[in-house]
Amino acid sequence: MFRARLLPALLGAAIVLTVLTVLVAAAGKPVGKSFLIILQGAIGYPRTEAFSPADAWDAVLHDMTLLVLTGLSVAIALQAGLFNIGAAGQLLAGALAAAWVGTLQGVPMHSLVALLGGMAAGALWALVPVWLKVRRGAHEVISTIMFNYIALYLTHWLVTERLKDPASDAPQTVAIAEAARLPLLRDDLLQASWGLGIAVLVALALWLVLYRTVWGYEVRATGANRDAADAAGVPTARRMVEAMLLSGALAGLAGAVEVCGTQYRFFEGFPSEYGFDGIAVALLAGNHPALTLVSGWLMSALRSGTYHLHAETGAPKEIATVLQAVLILYVAAVYLRRRRIET
Amino acid sequence: MSELFDAQLVGTAIRQATPLILAALGGLMSERVGVINIGLEGKILMGAFAAALGTLLTGSPLVGLICAIVVGLALALLHAVATQELRTDHIVSGVAINLLALGLSTYLFRQIIVPREEAGESSVVRMFGAASLGGLENLPGLNALLKDQSWLTLFALVLPFLLLVLLTRTRWGLRVYAVGNDSIKARTMGVPVKRLRYLGVLWSGVLASMAGAFLVLAATGQFRENMSAGRGFIALAALIFGRWHPLGAAGAALGFGFFEALQMRLQGQPVFGVQLPTDLLLMLPYLLTVIALMGLLGKMKPPSDLGN
Repeated sequence: MFRARLLPALLGAAIVLTVLTVLVAAAGKPVGKSFLIILQGAIGYPRTEAFSPADAWDAVLHDMTLLVLTGLSVAIALQAGLFNIGAAGQLLAGALAAAWVGTLQGVPMHSLVALLGGMAAGALWALVPVWLKVRRGAHEVISTIMFNYIALYLTHWLVTERLKDPASDAPQTVAIAEAARLPLLRDDLLQASWGLGIAVLVALALWLVLYRTVWGYEVRATGANRDAADAAGVPTARRMVEAMLLSGALAGLAGAVEVCGTQYRFFEGFPSEYGFDGIAVALLAGNHPALTLVSGWLMSALRSGTYHLHAETGAPKEIATVLQAVLILYVAAVYLRRRRIET
Repeated sequence: MSELFDAQLVGTAIRQATPLILAALGGLMSERVGVINIGLEGKILMGAFAAALGTLLTGSPLVGLICAIVVGLALALLHAVATQELRTDHIVSGVAINLLALGLSTYLFRQIIVPREEAGESSVVRMFGAASLGGLENLPGLNALLKDQSWLTLFALVLPFLLLVLLTRTRWGLRVYAVGNDSIKARTMGVPVKRLRYLGVLWSGVLASMAGAFLVLAATGQFRENMSAGRGFIALAALIFGRWHPLGAAGAALGFGFFEALQMRLQGQPVFGVQLPTDLLLMLPYLLTVIALMGLLGKMKPPSDLGN
């Protein structure tokens, strides 16, 4: 138990803390004080007059909402043996769709419809890559990367040329209707919405579906060894398409939640990098839906902490990016070795 | 129409294509030996940073280029060790390397270069001048293409032919083919699989970081955060579009460079009275690659042992 589980985890934590220490020290900041500031940004304590725990939790829970959803998106695809690197593009498609649905008049259950619209757009954005994979054998990584850029330019074109709010100078859509908005978790927060509740529910539901249903078992069998699953009569191509559409829908949901819960509109430069961060969240959770709640929180706390350090001391906020890269490499090298099988 | 397509546009297209050709051929060397290389983007970015830093510190663009290559080699070595020794998934390792490059280059830029600028130092570094071809660049027909191009561009134009000869006319090239298509059989036949894989990946580091160095030392003269701006992924697209063939990849990269040049030319300029949206032009290389993947342009077949 210790050698197999605890030792790699402790070693990983030690490596991350070492890299963090080096980066903070190299930026010329006092290490001990910096760690306290990071902790403050991550969990709100130690409390100071200028910075209340609510500020930290607002940022952490907001990021966690998005990272859990994009992490689940990457995880469900990986469970089926597909590397969906296109969550960023699917998130953009979902966000723009939700922003558009949110501005329509007279829609019943407006927020729900807007979220569903975002999910549909995200799934649509994943459809061609998985079709290419199943029918043409084209690697999904390549095609989802291409679709990321197509989404980037297409949404940019739409928000600057077609769907721009004519009353605004900035390239952004009209704000969505009040009825389409998700309430904030608490009135004194600025970003963290009940989208978090949705993310938690989705994570738990996926856990049940993946580990307690035949469909989930077949998805996992497909990902573990497609040939064996084929031989056992699993419709693997079907399961891959379904898992990928679900993956796209979840990334689209992340975009829709960001629109309906926090931003209330789509705008130029919409934060799509959460889609890439979802890769780290999923890998860290070993693609387990329930564990993405933990890894999603961890990544958000790390981000919020280093961002707080940036705001307080001017240390580069890219420290978080470097740490994330180190974490991915470590997890991949220790936990996710390739078996030699035909792909 | 004549003011739209002129010799200057072709010259710009070749300049825009240079980093794409270099990076695509780098990716080709890696994928031909069976190692997927998503990390081209990161190597371009770190290469650009190292080139800017090296030139800023010494005043010599040649030193800058060498710095870029060393850093590119280091990142490539990381990818090679991760995929060959630790048996990490090639894509995960590539994703991590891109993140690492983005984080580190920005971090170091803020730590090392930005403070120097505040001290009043110029951010524009000394660049490579235009290469001289002994008068060849002044010939009528060729002057539009070759005038004012740096030697890195000329190198990028010659390299695909060199690689073609290397890959198809030498023993080494045959071995690369064997490793990329069936590494187990290759190993049985006594081909040093691991050594060839290391070499292929290291070559991708050299060429991709040269692409980054080009951006600083021949195109803009300065480093900007995330200045690779997706070129590594367009290079990947060119590699696939060119079907893992040196001339095909370079040709596709030239084509994508042409779109970029055209997009720059078209900004705010109507064609036949129609304003073409630049976003849609920028999207074109990616869209074309998807169409190519759909098999509408013939069968796309990667090296069969890719990713193992």
